[in-house]
Amino acid sequence: MENAGRRAGLYTSAALKHASLVALALLAVFPLYWMIVTSLKPETEVFTSSLIPLHLTLDNYVHAWNAIPMGRMLTNSMVVAVIQTAAQLITSIFAAYAFTRWEFRGSSFIFGLIALTWLVPFQVIMIPNYVAISGFGWRDHLAGLIVPNIASAFAVLQLYNAFKSYPKTLIEAARLDGASDMGLLWRTIMPNLKAPVASIGILLFITSWNDYFWPLLVTTKLENTTIQKGLQMFISSDGNMWGALMAATTIASLPVLLIYLMLQRQIIDSFVKGGLK
Amino acid sequence: MSYEAVGMPRHAAGAKPKSKERKPFLLRLGRIKPYIYLLPALVSIGYWIYKPLLQTFQLSIYQWNLLPTSPKQFVGLKNFNQLFSLPEMGIALWNTLIYTLGVIPFSLIIPLVIAIATDNIGRKASNIYRALIFLPMIMAPVAVSSVWRWIMHPTNGILNKALTDWFHLSEPIRFFTDEHWAIWSITFITGWKLLGFSTLIFSAAMTGINKEYIEAAKIDRAGSFQIIWHVLLPLLSPTILFMLMMSTLFASEWSFSYINVLTQGGPFNTTTNIYYLLWTYGFQSFNIGASSAAAAVFFLGFGVLAWLFMRLTRKLSFFDN
Repeated sequence: MENAGRRAGLYTSAALKHASLVALALLAVFPLYWMIVTSLKPETEVFTSSLIPLHLTLDNYVHAWNAIPMGRMLTNSMVVAVIQTAAQLITSIFAAYAFTRWEFRGSSFIFGLIALTWLVPFQVIMIPNYVAISGFGWRDHLAGLIVPNIASAFAVLQLYNAFKSYPKTLIEAARLDGASDMGLLWRTIMPNLKAPVASIGILLFITSWNDYFWPLLVTTKLENTTIQKGLQMFISSDGNMWGALMAATTIASLPVLLIYLMLQRQIIDSFVKGGLK
Repeated sequence: MSYEAVGMPRHAAGAKPKSKERKPFLLRLGRIKPYIYLLPALVSIGYWIYKPLLQTFQLSIYQWNLLPTSPKQFVGLKNFNQLFSLPEMGIALWNTLIYTLGVIPFSLIIPLVIAIATDNIGRKASNIYRALIFLPMIMAPVAVSSVWRWIMHPTNGILNKALTDWFHLSEPIRFFTDEHWAIWSITFITGWKLLGFSTLIFSAAMTGINKEYIEAAKIDRAGSFQIIWHVLLPLLSPTILFMLMMSTLFASEWSFSYINVLTQGGPFNTTTNIYYLLWTYGFQSFNIGASSAAAAVFFLGFGVLAWLFMRLTRKLSFFDN
């Protein structure tokens, strides 16, 4: 009797656990589901609340693709995100290597300077940076989007943690074998840190792809900007073209969603470990 | 910002023995090596973060309209004196407080409750839930704005349709244009994006807790609430403080994109916040002096807050072991 009651209690508590998680999952996923569903509905059906599209169509995608220079903006976003990610990885690999390999004067001060950048909100430094970019003549230019972001304090800190976990004795051994500093970095350490470097790289790529603020500031023409800024201009320009807008939104999210589909576990882990900004 | 990084300068600051004896020439040359490796990152961070930070302080004592051809006029501390009498400053500060407090249920309270309630749920199920609830975090803010704009549209959005069906509203809620609703809509979207992420942060912290503490409390016949209050919450306090600090420091930064895409600070400035104000001063009214002075004050203010939080975290960090 008591046993059955206790088992029932256990079941209820398990059911409650799952119910709360299912509710949370629904809240998280429904907007994305609704985005995709709306984008696939024909114009006549967009304003109905049917939860599944009855007649699938790609009209909205065609419309969105023609309404704004989508291909051009996607290319821009890809170029910016790839170059930026690569540059951030390289600069931070070198920096993390310097911090772990040598003891040198001012290392903790320099490390502090890098770590404390998270206290500097973008909005506080945007005007001088905007002036600098204008001075270089890089407004409406991909260089203006990329160059200010070739180093990432976040990446330096994350890679520093990864490098620190690499055994010092192995470095010493390679050094005694006559490895040069560069050789040590690229042939001894890096092959063993592929996994953390890759997940930090993915995080940097997503961040760069999703960035909206800096393109908002330094680009004006649709052909010269990234897909996020383009999407924002599409949002504010259209009247009631919800199907097309959802199609454009889906396209803009697709690369990140695909990466997430393949690598969610690594992405979640590095986000939870890595942080917010 | 990194969870570990907050505490990191501490580790890095550990005293390093410095040898005073004279080294051969080659070794001394070798001493500049670390600086060479650091150079690319340092130059970039220095040029694009610290230099503009100093320039912001410099610009705060000038009057300027952003045109390269027009001269900057030195005005001393006038920008600072006028700061709090500027239009919208009062409401922007008030709204910042609303955003900060409004985000806390999403970044702290609900995640904490769910993480505690759903600890040890079975690995497979938990992986599926994790993948789903984390999804908003990787979405671009503009895409998120776009989707919620559609869902919360007054006449055609599915949310208003559902609400009308369920509660027989006399008229739909204008989520982004009604001055009583707009700020809560933006707060909700900001929180929605954080909810899953924060839950996973707390879940990870729960997993890290040594279960022997809970067993010991159970043997002492402690009830569930006693365990939560006297065992779990103290053990989770570093994470709680961390999320609280993040919410306080960044709620206004996180909400910026949604404000800019969805309401532009309106209706009647009811959704503007201090960071959005910097944006409008700088790039709409071209009052660079006011924007820079406000930026300087907010930067210092948040710096003090961050320092206080970190001191508090350090004080509580003995729970860690």
